[in-house]
Amino acid sequence: MFRLAYRNLFQSTIRLTISAGGVALALLLVFSLDAILAGSERQMTAYIDDTGADLFISQKGVRNMHMASSSIPRNTIDAVMDVDGIEQATPILYLTNVIDVGEQQFLAYIIGVEQDAPFGGPWDLFKGRSSPNPGEIIIDHTVAQKSNLILGDNVDVLGRSFKIVGLAKGTTSIINSAAFISLEDFFQERGTDQVISYLLATVTEGQSPNVIARRIEAEISGITASPRATFSSGEARIIEDMGADIISLMNLIGFLIGLAVTGLTTYTATLARRSEYGMLKALGARNIHLYTTVVWQALISVTIGFIIAIGLTFLLSVVIPFISPEVGLIVTWSSMTKIALAAGGIALVSAILPIWQIAKLDPAMVFRS
Amino acid sequence: MKNALDKNHMIEPCIEKSHQATLFAKNITKRYGTGSTEVIAVRDVSLMIQPGEVVLIMGPSGSGKTTLLLILGALLKPTHGEIRMGEEDLVAMSEKKLPEIRLRKFGFIFQDFNLLSALTVKENVAIAAQLAGLKGRQARAKAETILVDLGLEDRLNFLPEKLSGGEKQRVAIARALVNDPALILADEPTANLDSKIGQEVMRMLRRIAKDQNRSVIIVSHDPRIKEIADRVLWLEDGQFKDMVEMALDPVCGMAVERENAPASLEYQGETYYFCADGCQQEFASSPQHFLSPDHSLQHKV
Repeated sequence: MFRLAYRNLFQSTIRLTISAGGVALALLLVFSLDAILAGSERQMTAYIDDTGADLFISQKGVRNMHMASSSIPRNTIDAVMDVDGIEQATPILYLTNVIDVGEQQFLAYIIGVEQDAPFGGPWDLFKGRSSPNPGEIIIDHTVAQKSNLILGDNVDVLGRSFKIVGLAKGTTSIINSAAFISLEDFFQERGTDQVISYLLATVTEGQSPNVIARRIEAEISGITASPRATFSSGEARIIEDMGADIISLMNLIGFLIGLAVTGLTTYTATLARRSEYGMLKALGARNIHLYTTVVWQALISVTIGFIIAIGLTFLLSVVIPFISPEVGLIVTWSSMTKIALAAGGIALVSAILPIWQIAKLDPAMVFRS
Repeated sequence: MKNALDKNHMIEPCIEKSHQATLFAKNITKRYGTGSTEVIAVRDVSLMIQPGEVVLIMGPSGSGKTTLLLILGALLKPTHGEIRMGEEDLVAMSEKKLPEIRLRKFGFIFQDFNLLSALTVKENVAIAAQLAGLKGRQARAKAETILVDLGLEDRLNFLPEKLSGGEKQRVAIARALVNDPALILADEPTANLDSKIGQEVMRMLRRIAKDQNRSVIIVSHDPRIKEIADRVLWLEDGQFKDMVEMALDPVCGMAVERENAPASLEYQGETYYFCADGCQQEFASSPQHFLSPDHSLQHKV
């Protein structure tokens, strides 16, 4: 019956285009939102994932950076360095603020890093230097592009002016960007040099970050030590939670649109071939044969829509960063699996009405034409 | 040629012979509605179809022809009566089993051909075989064999929309034959065909019935079909009113009603029927010539 379903579908190319196109657009909505969310998560955790630290040590109970505040004593650095298995450690200061460029303002994570710190600063440079001296700042190159800033220009951060000495890559997101200043400038702003926000550390070769994290927590009180993967997933979860309701709602809307389009086209396709199904029943086809045909039709058109939607999403993931660099789209396997299951659901649910229509079809109708 | 003159089929159902019949229907009645709204579409009809027999059921509109065809084709249960096909009682059979019976024991030919518009000629025939359990490749091979036999070898991969009416009906015949049914039921098979093509298709159907020993029941308004029928039954008000046996004039090949034949002649213990005295006289002058296989083939239907 697959052949019949396939031929039926491709005989009416307009109906197929409407059906597959409608499903494609509906699934594209779901795919795009998932991809934007995945892209945002990747952007938001980029600093944690890419800055080079194995461990993130924070105030007790703090397990992420976004919308979080952490304060730990500066002498924690020495205590952590004394823990067996720690290779290097470097402090950072961190808060959410804005970069002022004339009338324009850009939300940014301001990160204070030690000069020539082995990690904790920008990891990929577009232009200039990666380590800021006092009075200097490194901003993301997309922020510079938007404001026509170049190396040597000044921006205002934390109420004072900084000279741009470096343009970083990969430190922007849909929400904000990261900017790096020297630890001295940050201490000066805070009015104390005895408190840091986070301590970033690497472990010696062959050591497990999980084991060392537990060891740090056992030896030093008042802190939480998180391996990079744990800290990153905690950060991603915050983003997921923030977007979960919107994404769920949009997924539902996409599912319903897909269902409506597929349901309508499958129903009308079945209606148009009522006499053919009646004839098959008269010949001796069992209902299950005809149901299978209808389900195949729905599955084929949804599959085509699904493939088109994936293709368009990948296309968007290439095109959109050129238009809007702060928006990143990442198509994940989990998203594809989720949407494939939803598409399968759309096909099956949309076949219910036509199946009911076939079930009540009297095969004798072909003799009464 | 199995000449019409050889025919000696019974008209009334005979219980003794029912076990040999392709289909045996006894006292079939179909009522719709009750009380003042009751309509009796088929009234106490009995019928027996022998293997290889072609039966034409004619009658005015609303006489119950289609209802009877539906009942005989296991598509509609009668209110009363018995229908047997071999050992199987179609009336007592559960609804679930009927599709299987229709698929394997019956072949259907419809007025509007009812081909699947999206499938090719070969696929249209193969799908019926697939429904009966053949695998795709086997089904298509079987379909191709039958279609080639029916002269459609050049149309195997055509869509129905590219076929003439006669070709469509031949495809429908092929589809009806693909599961080797014992009985073919045809509903107004010539209604959408012109006169010449209609006759050709009906002759083809008769040839198949005779060569393959399949029974055929045709419901039609078309009096030209009488020519190929072994028996013609007249249905009126849900009842058979008169039954006419047909014979072929051995001289000109025309179908004539035995009872109303203008002329007849006994020859070597057989009765021959003629459309006119001229044919009878011609036959009488040289009977062997008209009974020779060469001459008979000219009138083969």
